[in-house]
Amino acid sequence: MKRNLVVATLVVFAFSSIFLLSSCAKKQVITEEKEMEAPAPEVAKEEKAAVPAAKEEKMEEAKIERLKELEEAKKQEAAIDEEKAWMERRAAKFEAEAMYFDFDKSFIRLEYRPVLQEKAAFLKDYPDMRVRIEGNCDERGTNEYNLALGERRGSSAKNFLISLGIAADRIETISYGEERPRGLGRNEASWSQNRRDDFVLVR
Amino acid sequence: MWILVLGVGVVLEASDAEAKLYIDITSPSMRRISIAVPDFKYLGHKNEHPELGSKLAGIISNDFDLCGYFRPLDKGSFIEGAGAGITRDSINFKDWSVIGAELLLKAGYECIGQQLKVEARLFEVFSGNQVYGKRILGLVEQSRYLMHRLANDILFALTRHPGPFLTKIAFVGTSTGQKEIYLADYDGHNLKQITSHHTITLSPRFSPSGDRMIYTSFRDSGTVLFMNDMIKGETRKISDREGLNIAAAWRPNGKELALTLTISGNPDIYLIDTTGKIVKRLTKNWGIDVSPTFSPDGEKMAFVSNRSGSPQIYILDLRDERVERLTFEGSYNTSPVWSKLDRIAFAGSSDGRFEIYTISPDGRDLRRITQGQGNNEDPCWSPDGRYLAFSSNRTDGNYHIFISNANGENQRQVTDFARDQLSPSWAQQVK
Repeated sequence: MKRNLVVATLVVFAFSSIFLLSSCAKKQVITEEKEMEAPAPEVAKEEKAAVPAAKEEKMEEAKIERLKELEEAKKQEAAIDEEKAWMERRAAKFEAEAMYFDFDKSFIRLEYRPVLQEKAAFLKDYPDMRVRIEGNCDERGTNEYNLALGERRGSSAKNFLISLGIAADRIETISYGEERPRGLGRNEASWSQNRRDDFVLVR
Repeated sequence: MWILVLGVGVVLEASDAEAKLYIDITSPSMRRISIAVPDFKYLGHKNEHPELGSKLAGIISNDFDLCGYFRPLDKGSFIEGAGAGITRDSINFKDWSVIGAELLLKAGYECIGQQLKVEARLFEVFSGNQVYGKRILGLVEQSRYLMHRLANDILFALTRHPGPFLTKIAFVGTSTGQKEIYLADYDGHNLKQITSHHTITLSPRFSPSGDRMIYTSFRDSGTVLFMNDMIKGETRKISDREGLNIAAAWRPNGKELALTLTISGNPDIYLIDTTGKIVKRLTKNWGIDVSPTFSPDGEKMAFVSNRSGSPQIYILDLRDERVERLTFEGSYNTSPVWSKLDRIAFAGSSDGRFEIYTISPDGRDLRRITQGQGNNEDPCWSPDGRYLAFSSNRTDGNYHIFISNANGENQRQVTDFARDQLSPSWAQQVK
């Protein structure tokens, strides 16, 4: 019983000191600890009467501790959620930003280098993520040639990402040729939309 | 099983002009012979199939039109009375000469239950001579097949060459919203869906004997080459290597295929056997190499490459591995197909719109087949090399299959199904 009481008291001290730590200098903490040590024998004298009160106190303290733990967990969770939401936002941007090509070409236009650099940065930040690059073409020409051209467009992006340090086994390519147009018109406005690489994350 | 031989032919009397070659199909420019095909006359007592009279005449008349050697006359111009028969004595040939008919096909039919008997006689209107006569038997439900056989027989009698009437054409159709392979008679009738992959299925190519068909279909991982045994109705995977497995072509020996793979990281053409094993790598180049097609002797292969900057057609000699460029005109030449008669058809563009051309394998004698009517793509030859099929969006904006003579004359639309019909492959009649 006595030991319990001492433990309980020490717990009280421990908590108080946590509160005080933030505002007090080290020396002050020590003096206050000494000052607060004084009432302890008093508590010991009232041992018999204090038993139910102490029990209650102890339960109360456990509750507080638990609440604090929960709060801490919540904070951590919130931080994780925020991190996750941030990742999702980046992932959404990663997938939304396609790369477009000139007619019958598979070289990466200068303006898309930063786009690919950002994608590489994302893949470096999230090493569990893999990417599927889908090469597409406009409808002009044959399916067969366009399947090959789409494959080359996918490879262009893949090779660029590899040159930025992304492991080759994290990148797969597939060509859809002219089979998955985004723009359905038979004009340059549609065609320019269809000559593209899409980037799909594989998680 | 899609060919069932049922008809039995019986030659009627000896024809008056047995030995005469009526049509020389090898002559460079042919005059189409005008032919009259009145409705078939019922020869029995009680006609349970009165609709067949005009239906049978319509099928064979359409065959005559599609083959390019004849000009069937409009039924509305016929003046012959109802009393006329189908034999020489019961025909007043003046009724036919006056409307400009050079040939007259007279036929009668008789039905007993599901049995159909047709008796056909072809007359030269000017002389009144019978040049062909035959009686054939079959089933009512196979009347289209019977008429195609009759047309084939008649054409053979006149030209010493069989017609295209019993051949079939496979194509890619989009009516389901996906791309699947379909098969129809050469005239677009008797449609069947061959694949049900519920995805993008492309590039059907019949084997030289017409018994097998290869095609490419998408899986999650990419394209896969399949082979469909048309006789057994079985499909098996031939090549599913990483990357592309596309645009395969049969070598005329029927034992090897060329296709584009990207296993080296670049689209190149490889020779594989029918189990999918690589026999040889055929092209090795930084550019795109696709769409192979073999010469009739199997020793040369035409293909598309962008090695000079834009897609052009090249010919590889498999014996010495020399490559020569075939096409120089236009900025985009693709889809080569090499005919049994040693001519190469392809789709070419100089202004974004595609036209069908043919060229001699030595680069001479370039001829334009289509003349600015919409887009014209995906040419293929009939097995005998005398006809071309291609897809064109000239009629309603959607692509349909058209056939024409090898020289581009007599272009006729043969499919009119919902949405697009693309990428035809013309099958030999399976014997």
